[in-house]
Amino acid sequence: MDSTPGRGWWEQLLVNLRLYFRNRMGMFYGYLFPVIFLISFRVLYRYETVPMVRHLGQLLTVTILGGACLGMPTTMVSERERGVWRRFRLTPISTSSLVASAILARYLILITAGLLQIVLAMGIGMPLPRHSLSLCLAFTLVAFAFLGLGLVIAAIADNVPSVQALGQCIFLPMLIIGGVAVPLASLPGWAVTLSSFFPGRYAVQSLQACIDGVGTGSSRFDLFALFLIGASGLIAGAKMFRWDTQQRFATLGRSKWLVVVIATWAAVGVAAQIEARRPDLAAQTAVPGRSALPVVTPATSVPPSASDDALSAIAPPENTPASPPEESPPRSTAWQQVTVEEIVSNVDFRKLPPDSGVVSPIAPPGVNPSADVLDQINTIIETLPNWPPGNVADPVQRVRNLMYVAAVPDVLESEDIESFVPLIVFDRLKQDIPKQDLIRILYWVAIHPSEGDDTAANQLQALGLGNPPPDSDVVRERVTFYSLKLLGRLIGKISPG
Amino acid sequence: MSAKVVVRDLRKHYGDVQAVCGVSFEVQQGEIFGLLGPNGGGKTTLVECIVGLREPDEGSIELFGMETRREGGDAKQRIGAVLQTTSLQEKITPREALRAFGSFYRERFTPEEVLDRFSLADKGDAPFDTLSGGQRQRLALALAFVNNPELILLDEPTAGLDPQFRREFHDEILQMKKDGRTVLLTTHYVSEAEQLCDRIAILDHGRIVAMGEPSLLIARSMAAPSVFLSTVQPVDFELLRQLPGIQSLERERSGFRFSTDHTARTIGELMNYLDAQHIEISELHIQKATLEDVLIELIGDSQYG
Repeated sequence: MDSTPGRGWWEQLLVNLRLYFRNRMGMFYGYLFPVIFLISFRVLYRYETVPMVRHLGQLLTVTILGGACLGMPTTMVSERERGVWRRFRLTPISTSSLVASAILARYLILITAGLLQIVLAMGIGMPLPRHSLSLCLAFTLVAFAFLGLGLVIAAIADNVPSVQALGQCIFLPMLIIGGVAVPLASLPGWAVTLSSFFPGRYAVQSLQACIDGVGTGSSRFDLFALFLIGASGLIAGAKMFRWDTQQRFATLGRSKWLVVVIATWAAVGVAAQIEARRPDLAAQTAVPGRSALPVVTPATSVPPSASDDALSAIAPPENTPASPPEESPPRSTAWQQVTVEEIVSNVDFRKLPPDSGVVSPIAPPGVNPSADVLDQINTIIETLPNWPPGNVADPVQRVRNLMYVAAVPDVLESEDIESFVPLIVFDRLKQDIPKQDLIRILYWVAIHPSEGDDTAANQLQALGLGNPPPDSDVVRERVTFYSLKLLGRLIGKISPG
Repeated sequence: MSAKVVVRDLRKHYGDVQAVCGVSFEVQQGEIFGLLGPNGGGKTTLVECIVGLREPDEGSIELFGMETRREGGDAKQRIGAVLQTTSLQEKITPREALRAFGSFYRERFTPEEVLDRFSLADKGDAPFDTLSGGQRQRLALALAFVNNPELILLDEPTAGLDPQFRREFHDEILQMKKDGRTVLLTTHYVSEAEQLCDRIAILDHGRIVAMGEPSLLIARSMAAPSVFLSTVQPVDFELLRQLPGIQSLERERSGFRFSTDHTARTIGELMNYLDAQHIEISELHIQKATLEDVLIELIGDSQYG
């Protein structure tokens, strides 16, 4: 006879984990499926240069969504159908202990599945996420939100087929129009608005910000939205909890808690819409409808990406409705009119991606290229002065063309040379164009990313560089980053290294 | 003796159906109390209310002197229960289940102790879905026993099980009584109730229609004793029927069966008649009323025949 205090929730947690790892289907959906998804993604984009790092937030969200909104409620409802939970009710263990152990077990499963996905992604070329600790926090809050939702599904569904039906009703819209599988940039305006009422969008944004963005600092609203959605789901799920499959949800009169969940989603969506109209936030966010892009005309804007937080380094132009007139920085109408004051008032260099990051890296002083690529580096240095696009008459187009030389290796993730090429280009620019003009032109190129001719990007083979990716918008985005980074160095706003 | 279970004027309905209608009874320390009745009589609802699976509409339930609505958690520490069917997760083993369920209680036996006690040691690491029906029900009893309960509630624990396992289960229940535990048992097997229970309550349509010791219930029965007679030489059916005291005479197998209100007188008359006719008796049984007769008398043989 044992009289030590029992730790029911702990034993139940261990049982949940053991049983999960004995279930082949569970293992398939929890671990193998995300891996297959990852490999499929890689295969799908093998001819393109869409880096994994820009989509890992989406992949992790799909993993969490599947495990929390389909996997967990399927297990819970199946156990309830078998009468397991009914048997638990004969014992003194509380509802909260059982629910907590089920949720904690699923969280541990999700976090290991997420880690596996990240490690495998790194194995096939993805760099380490930029903000690993923040990523843990964001991952936890995303899991919290979706586990709360999963608990609600488990409470509503009378049987396992109902879980699948309900789960898919949430899963598929979130994938397609909720900003999870299809990027918000590819969605029509109404879908973007609608997506703010789904947690999937906040999940992708907050995870992605930690992977290749500026961390949780730029996604406080997303994290708060996930917390609210998760808290409402957990409370409602616990209140609507059913021990017995004979207790039909429809007959229990607990639907008011479902209203609480829906009201929370709606409130978050409305708050997101209000936040999107605030100019300061509009400049920090990265989705259409909250345009943060520096470009003058929306029709020619670069589609937003996970790196758009960095693009928000440039304040919106004067005629942008999102920007109040009294705070609008002055804008020149020709590059020759640009002043350093205008640059300083319009560009926040602190928001640019770090030189040591994945996007637009620049080698710090004292770091030399490896011996393997010295020949390639020397070829660029030798051929660049005579490269025809780098010698066109129009100085703006010339700078733009030379910036392509820096941007394309970055997009191609040519890790050995991508951080050195911008320095070669910088030297060439400083030799070719007077400093004051170069300052003006770099700024001009940065704030007009969609202008100019980009055919130079297809002439890089002459420099020994690879073919440009078909996604020219991404290249133009990197041109903007490098232009601002070199500009910052010229006017003393960025210290090399 | 103190009452371990006190149920007072309990009522529970499902829609228009009154499952339990004002039931009151007490179960004393150390006794085996049976709730006997036909399917749909309200036995399971009553037990589910007592163990906390259902909320009664009216009335009160006290376990160990504690009102279950207020102190149900404390009472659960001291009870064990076996439902009609106990199902666990497919892949859980008896050892894991006993460890997990034991951890819910302040006091508990180790899984090994309980596995040995219920002859499950060789199945301790077998997945639940590989256990036979009897083994599963034995595990259910083991789970009910893991917290060393003072009171055990068994809801039709042997329904659908083979006679061999039923006998084993009966032995376990009798052993629990010897250990000083109190048992509340529901069953629709009359023999089970007669064999195991110190007292029974007969439940029909949610009401207790009789309660007491089985022998006293039988003694109070109005059912007439039944007589079976078989002879070597043939007996004239019509002449037999005219003997005084013989009722409901009918042919059965190689003889006759009848009932009588005056056993001694009727048997005396029968012996005289057979002797006069030089008829030899090959078989003669006189059977007093059984618990089954009591049930049929109280409930009707359409439900319990």
